[in-house]
Amino acid sequence: MSFEPKIVGILCNWCSYTGADLAGTSRTKYAPNIRVLRVMCSARVDPTFIFKALSEGADGVLICGCHPGDCHYVEGNYKAMRRFPLLKKMLADLGVEDQRVRLEWVSASEGQRFADVVNEMTEQVRKLGPSKIKPDLLADRRNRPAAAAAEVAHA
Amino acid sequence: MPKLQIAIYWGAACGGCDVAVLDTNEFILEVGKIADIRLWPVAADGKYSDVEKMKDKELDLTLFDGAVRTSENEHLARLLRQKSKLLVAFGSCAHLGGIPGLANLVPMQEIFERAYLKNASIEPGNTTVPKPESMVGPYKLTIPKFYDRVYKLDDIVDVDYYVPGCPPHFDQVKAVLGVIASGKLPAKGSVVGCTDRALCDECKREKTEKRVKKFFRPWQIVPDPNKCLLEQGVLCAGSATRGGCGVRCPNIGIPCRGCYGPPPNVVDQGAKLLSAVASIIDSKEPKEIDQILATLPDITGYAYRFGMPSGLLQRRHAP
Amino acid sequence: MSDLKIGVYICNCGTNIAKTVDCEAVIKAMQTLPGVAVAKSYKYMCSNPGQEMIAADIKTLGLNRVVVAACSPRMHEPTFRKALDSAGLNPYFLEMANIREQNSWVHEDGAACTHKAIDLTRGAVKRVAFHEALEKRSVPMSPSVLVLGGGVAGMTAALEIGDANQTVYLVEREDHLGGNVARIDLTAPHLDSARDLLLDRITRVTTHPKIKVLLKSELVEMSGYIGNFKTKIKTAGKELELELEVGALVVCTGYQEFDAKKIRNFGYGSLPDVITSFELETMIRAGKIVTKSGKTPRYVSLIHCVGSRSEEHHPYCSRVCCMTAIKYAHEVKSMIPDAYVSDLYIDMHAFGKGCEDFYKRGSELRTMFLMYKKNQPPVVRVADPKEKFGMLIALSEQLSGEDVEIPADLIVLMVGMEPRADSASVAHIVNISRDKDGWFIESHPKLDPVATTTDGIFIAGACQAPKDIPDSVAQARAASARIMAKIAQGKIWVDAVYAEVDPEYCSGCRMCNELCPYSAIEFDAAEKRSHVISAVCKACGACVAGCPSSAIKGRHFTDKQIFAQIEGVMA
Repeated sequence: MSFEPKIVGILCNWCSYTGADLAGTSRTKYAPNIRVLRVMCSARVDPTFIFKALSEGADGVLICGCHPGDCHYVEGNYKAMRRFPLLKKMLADLGVEDQRVRLEWVSASEGQRFADVVNEMTEQVRKLGPSKIKPDLLADRRNRPAAAAAEVAHA
Repeated sequence: MPKLQIAIYWGAACGGCDVAVLDTNEFILEVGKIADIRLWPVAADGKYSDVEKMKDKELDLTLFDGAVRTSENEHLARLLRQKSKLLVAFGSCAHLGGIPGLANLVPMQEIFERAYLKNASIEPGNTTVPKPESMVGPYKLTIPKFYDRVYKLDDIVDVDYYVPGCPPHFDQVKAVLGVIASGKLPAKGSVVGCTDRALCDECKREKTEKRVKKFFRPWQIVPDPNKCLLEQGVLCAGSATRGGCGVRCPNIGIPCRGCYGPPPNVVDQGAKLLSAVASIIDSKEPKEIDQILATLPDITGYAYRFGMPSGLLQRRHAP
Repeated sequence: MSDLKIGVYICNCGTNIAKTVDCEAVIKAMQTLPGVAVAKSYKYMCSNPGQEMIAADIKTLGLNRVVVAACSPRMHEPTFRKALDSAGLNPYFLEMANIREQNSWVHEDGAACTHKAIDLTRGAVKRVAFHEALEKRSVPMSPSVLVLGGGVAGMTAALEIGDANQTVYLVEREDHLGGNVARIDLTAPHLDSARDLLLDRITRVTTHPKIKVLLKSELVEMSGYIGNFKTKIKTAGKELELELEVGALVVCTGYQEFDAKKIRNFGYGSLPDVITSFELETMIRAGKIVTKSGKTPRYVSLIHCVGSRSEEHHPYCSRVCCMTAIKYAHEVKSMIPDAYVSDLYIDMHAFGKGCEDFYKRGSELRTMFLMYKKNQPPVVRVADPKEKFGMLIALSEQLSGEDVEIPADLIVLMVGMEPRADSASVAHIVNISRDKDGWFIESHPKLDPVATTTDGIFIAGACQAPKDIPDSVAQARAASARIMAKIAQGKIWVDAVYAEVDPEYCSGCRMCNELCPYSAIEFDAAEKRSHVISAVCKACGACVAGCPSSAIKGRHFTDKQIFAQIEGVMA
């Protein structure tokens, strides 16, 4: 029984979410591991969202926006594009493997492309194995009243 | 009027917060008139056993500065919580994890080896390392366990108030002690001695267009004293840092480093600083963006200088 | 939030969803969630009975939030919002989970589909708990319109709006109306008189009761937002600037021609008988085509793409010059029947109505068509004085494959269109952008060519891109129609979803002002706070993510809502 990753997707309404819907109307099949959230523009994607998803146990995070030059809001995707390399550096410092967080441009007519990206990412994340972040944070927790009481008594 | 019973204790700390309390100068003598300081390792004798003998909530107030990195820090955090009516996380380390929190980016084994084995001041061939237990004559000596990550105070115990700053300014110390002495306490869990807006609100520098083609280390340029530092390419964290410190750093040409922690609505200060820095990059070409980013040496260190343990991911999660 | 009463509705969509998703399992999972008052499924939630079921539950169960797990919200969000509205519940208390287009239609494994449907619906349930009641509101607007530029586009726009009985201010920099069309004689392909066309318009514009023409005038300042623009007009010779309040602007500032001196190979500026298309027009209007020395030319050459389709100068095609060159072939042959006309082109762009026929008739005139290669332009030199012609043009002729030299007494350069020298400052004043070639940028090249990203500012005519008279007129009419639609409403409706700066937390850092592509965030220097003009905000969220204090709330896409949704799908 191989590991089934859970990938959080954040898609922009005008291009990528529509592209994902098109994969649906075309009945293009892809891996069922992604959970999509909709925002109006990839510019809305705060790096905090990626950290939140990872801390909640997401094995991967996929951000999708319109191709550069095609943003419904003129240059929202450029804002996403500027944040992303910095985010990747920070994620590398925090030990998050590069392939777990991706930024992809998907247009409203690219249903097949969306499916391909999801399939490819799912396999890459499957190979990386489950993300350790949530288990680590749970294991780190020091709210252990019994142990705490024992420690006080001991000192 | 019985004297207030207070304790001031340091966890994984540099001592600067304790010095900040001392910096209140003669005020400390006033404090001495209205309070008994039952534990203050930097300034007075005192034993842990004295604290253990106290009744629960015998202390009116404990100021706990420093982060929690060892079992001793944790023990005292829990002990002082038990024995105090009010426990205040005093200073950036207790509040957010502080600069020691940056150790969360480095595996513990690497820190250990660097400290005791692999650095230029160790005599070649000297492999003496501290041991958790050893015999000294007939006595068994134990030393506290060194945890593999840094915690902030509220990761360990319930905290009543937070006083931000690295260190908190002595004026804030006075103000906070005054509030507690008055009995008119703010809501539990408040960050006190600061404002609710980011530092830019108090900063007198002129803010106009935020577009940067290059970032500079503070020593690389002589910034214009009247213009926003970030607009000049110097990485000032003020826009994502709570105010109330009097803008002491930008006022003398040093960029804010973020020690007061995030503004009230911000969940992760490091993520917001990343967003802020990325937002002002003046380019749409991927190659040019990369070039501009190359002038920014250490995004994680910059963004999480005082608050790594308080970020959503808290630490490095490598295998 | 202990008073949450969430109704969760799982649509079967016939078999579209129910075939793969175990809707009962989803219902059971939702029933375990705090705040869920009821969870049901139905065949077709979007049908009337489906919507009535939701409305009835809202009334009888006192539901204050609704989740519909069904098709894509892009399909039926408006439908279900109406259902909530009909029951008296604010339509923004709805959240949909897409379990069809992005679930049952794209995954085959029933168990995986059901698991995903549960996750997505749970995400919606957690998100909807943080939804707030949002209202549309309106702001008043001024029905007057300012048209910038009195050429054919500007006059068309002014007449359309004036005929609809609204006040128009037509601001023209020169001391006459007509723009570039006033410099030509006939139009292509029908060889109509440009003069007649213009005269008609100019007369109607200058005598129109609703149009105020301001000649020798410039727009020097503009502030405000759609429906409420404050403009300042400077007129030459007048000391005081005129202040006008208008609801919309149409920018029709047109183009200027390429400076042919930039291409040395053609000899423009040094050889007296190398002229531009506009200079030929002047001669045609004067009634005589002659060389500088006064002789009637025997060999007339027309060179296409001067400054256009060039790596060195402008990469784009200027659209009108090919047919204009054919027009000149007609005019030259009509004024000098014995002349030999040669037409040197790269490609013949005969795209418009009647243009291919015009091209055919051009060749019937015995015009010699010679094709040259892009980026290998012909070279002009002075001929030997012994020769009977003034100049020689050398080119690598593509149709024959031979290098040829042809004689010319008069060479007409078909200079391309380029943005006017002041287009950058005009763009800055009215707050629109220019593309890499300097033309004003439209809102969407295919679907919205006359609007710009600044609400209320429209563009029409050549200032947007090289175009001919029919297209300029069409755009001007389109812009007018858009404006009339807004004016007819009498007020500007502000969408309920926009960004809001909380002044309690705004520190005045000004990170947001630059982030807004619509310049919807203004900075109040006195208060030291930024403020979103909700009438202009398009809710992209760039400022919300960029605000380092999280002081900007993105209504209906708040941080709390998105965090809750992430927690819900990951639970």
